[in-house]
Amino acid sequence: MSLGGVITNVDLAILVYFLGLNSFYALLLLLSIPEIWEQTRLAEDDDFQRLMQSDALPPITMLVPAYNESATIEASVTAMLTLEYRSYEVVVVNDGSKDDTIDQLRHAFDLYEVPRIYPETITTQPLRAVYRSRTRSRLLVLDKENGGKADSLNAAINASRFPLVIAVDADTLIEPDALLRLTRPFLLGRKIAAVGGTVRVANNCTVKDGRVTDARVPQRLIPGVQVVEYLRAFLFGRLGWNRLGGNLVISGAFGLFRKDYIAAIGGYRTTSIVEDLDLVVRLHRYLRAQKIRYEMPFIPDPVAWTEVPESGKILARQRERWHRGLISAMWEYKGMLFNPRYGRVGMLSMPFFAFGEMLAPLVEVFGWVVTVIGLSAGKLNTSFALLFVLVAWGYGMLLSIWAVVLEEVSFRRYRRFGDLLLLLLYASLENFGYRQRTVWWRLKAFVTVWKRRQVWGEMTRKGFAKPPS
Amino acid sequence: MTSSQFLFVVAIVQGVLLAALIILIILNRWFRLRRSARLNPRRVAVDDAMRRWAAGATPLAGVLVGLSRLPVPLAIDALVGWSARVPGERWRELASTLEHQWWARLVRANSSSARWWKRLECARFLSVGAMPGDVARLVRLVNDPHAAVHVAAVASLERMESTPLTLAALERLPQLAPTVQAYYASMLRRSRPVVIQHLLKRLRRMDDPALPRFAEFAVRLAEPALRERMTALADHTDPEVRIQAARALGSFPHRESVTALTRLAADTAWAVRAQAARSLGMIADATTLPLVRGMVRDPAWWVRLRAGLALMRFGAAGRNALLETEVGADPDARDVAKLILGLPAQALAEFAA
Repeated sequence: MSLGGVITNVDLAILVYFLGLNSFYALLLLLSIPEIWEQTRLAEDDDFQRLMQSDALPPITMLVPAYNESATIEASVTAMLTLEYRSYEVVVVNDGSKDDTIDQLRHAFDLYEVPRIYPETITTQPLRAVYRSRTRSRLLVLDKENGGKADSLNAAINASRFPLVIAVDADTLIEPDALLRLTRPFLLGRKIAAVGGTVRVANNCTVKDGRVTDARVPQRLIPGVQVVEYLRAFLFGRLGWNRLGGNLVISGAFGLFRKDYIAAIGGYRTTSIVEDLDLVVRLHRYLRAQKIRYEMPFIPDPVAWTEVPESGKILARQRERWHRGLISAMWEYKGMLFNPRYGRVGMLSMPFFAFGEMLAPLVEVFGWVVTVIGLSAGKLNTSFALLFVLVAWGYGMLLSIWAVVLEEVSFRRYRRFGDLLLLLLYASLENFGYRQRTVWWRLKAFVTVWKRRQVWGEMTRKGFAKPPS
Repeated sequence: MTSSQFLFVVAIVQGVLLAALIILIILNRWFRLRRSARLNPRRVAVDDAMRRWAAGATPLAGVLVGLSRLPVPLAIDALVGWSARVPGERWRELASTLEHQWWARLVRANSSSARWWKRLECARFLSVGAMPGDVARLVRLVNDPHAAVHVAAVASLERMESTPLTLAALERLPQLAPTVQAYYASMLRRSRPVVIQHLLKRLRRMDDPALPRFAEFAVRLAEPALRERMTALADHTDPEVRIQAARALGSFPHRESVTALTRLAADTAWAVRAQAARSLGMIADATTLPLVRGMVRDPAWWVRLRAGLALMRFGAAGRNALLETEVGADPDARDVAKLILGLPAQALAEFAA
């Protein structure tokens, strides 16, 4: 076959790939419409006030792993201890921090050491001490040797008393009624194995006493574009998956799980790079294999706020790690791929994540390379190639703006008109430079996996405002 | 059509869609601002009218006019919000007058709508505005397949005494998920006489698969009339039923309860033993102190914790027993004693709940 023939065929294959992928995104987009409509209606139901007065709500343990979180730990834990929920406890795990996280906790909450009375159901790194607070009866603090986030979550699960556990990052700010809202699917009588809430970007928001009091869109491009990315991922990606019944991601920063199911699969895997994705895939595998009826929905109205990277360097590390985690999970659980035993998860979610998410950067870069070769060899029509790029960018923009539409017609967290315009601006700019950089970072993940390195990126945080003493 | 022409058409369609979406976003914001500017004064007017009427300062007519000027969902929100603040007799007067309002008639007609959100609207309205004539509607809504609808409908039991409605809710109770059961139970508690009569019958059916759920409900009621039945259930073969029996008996300080709990304290299932320890602590019969003290050395940590907490309820004798355990030979029991003796009063109460 001639060079021209090869290029044409490769381009055709790439075109078909993107057509298939984008059609699937379009499907998610369409499915997110009735879903957000239903969820908004349920979220507006005032019966929650009634529920708060009843003893129907299930007790919850919040699992809070903390590693070098000295800057934010006091504000975050204070906010977690004052949520509008009747029965819950907070288990903070200091994962051998190198900074003074444990001293901050000890001082802020008047901790005293207690013996460990519960068994080690899931094996973890050794505990140094267990603390309770003299001032906050709901707080339990574990101090342990460093073992990573998954290990800390397992230690917290061991110490938890309640049947539902929620994994929350120590730097995450949870809205006061978020727990209450997160339990809605349980109240609606569904067979819930796990439920995820929305994570939003806290950069540039006004934070008072560990609470976001004024939601703002960041002025800087990198965190600003991430606001749009988060909206897209949560408001139409996961809502669309709700209708397809195969959510593969419950955010590690804010997800509620049934403890007995987590215990049954041996807790979080300490060797996984992205522990939340790994846990959810294993839960699907276990529940399907046991023929247990279950749902893992995402509901949009419970909100947690998190600080996202502001510098390209840190963002690069984060994205590279996320993608490495995706590659690792897809490889680890390849047996589920196109396996009808796992229902929609095996036949739909896994293939989508493997071919649509994991391979997308490879295909995209390959497409660019072939196009450049084709153009320089005069085998491709320049106007066609430019038109194709324009359509691809336009489609990306359309998806991002659609996420802004969903936000506008449902929850409208950004009240100022200026913020709305900023969102639209970032949704438009995302495809010019930012997206290409993320493709590059994700591509680097393949190289890292190839070299078999598993290094966590470090996240530098500025910290939110401290609560008044 | 060539592929370039096709892409050109796609690009144009995308451009139009993008422009349409941006216009939609801006129009939506503008429309919402206008809407809230229009509706907020009406909402405030309803609140004012309701406040004055609740205080007996003005007649009901002002409230009715205000409600009719609001969109139906907002009117229902206002009613649900005010229902808890207005005394029962006055509220019944409002509910009875609302029966003849055109918009309330429309809402009632939605009880058999094919759309779940319409039925939800109806259920929410009836949860605060139901009249005796609505019982059939409410029974239908309590049996609705959509959870949000039947959860809203069952709230009507807070204000209405109706045997068919109570029985419909009670019969639905065992089929529901635990959280929803707990919510139903909190609503059914208000219709105590009917519920207890029916429950006594259901608790006699020893092979009923719904028995654990009814027993769990009986625990929530803590009704002395159920003591005898719950004591009998302490010997049931299903551990789930024994757990509920052990939990219930703590509310009945009676000789027979103590005997049954002593038996349950040696049960093979740790969850039953844990509940028995808790209930023995609630009754705090001095003769059971050695038994509870021994349970602090149970192989299951939950039982040890429950027994330790129970000892704190035995007063000075229990505390002394814990102090002795704290320096005793059993390391697990020592740890439990040390933990409990160090707990502040609030933590102790939360642990014991």
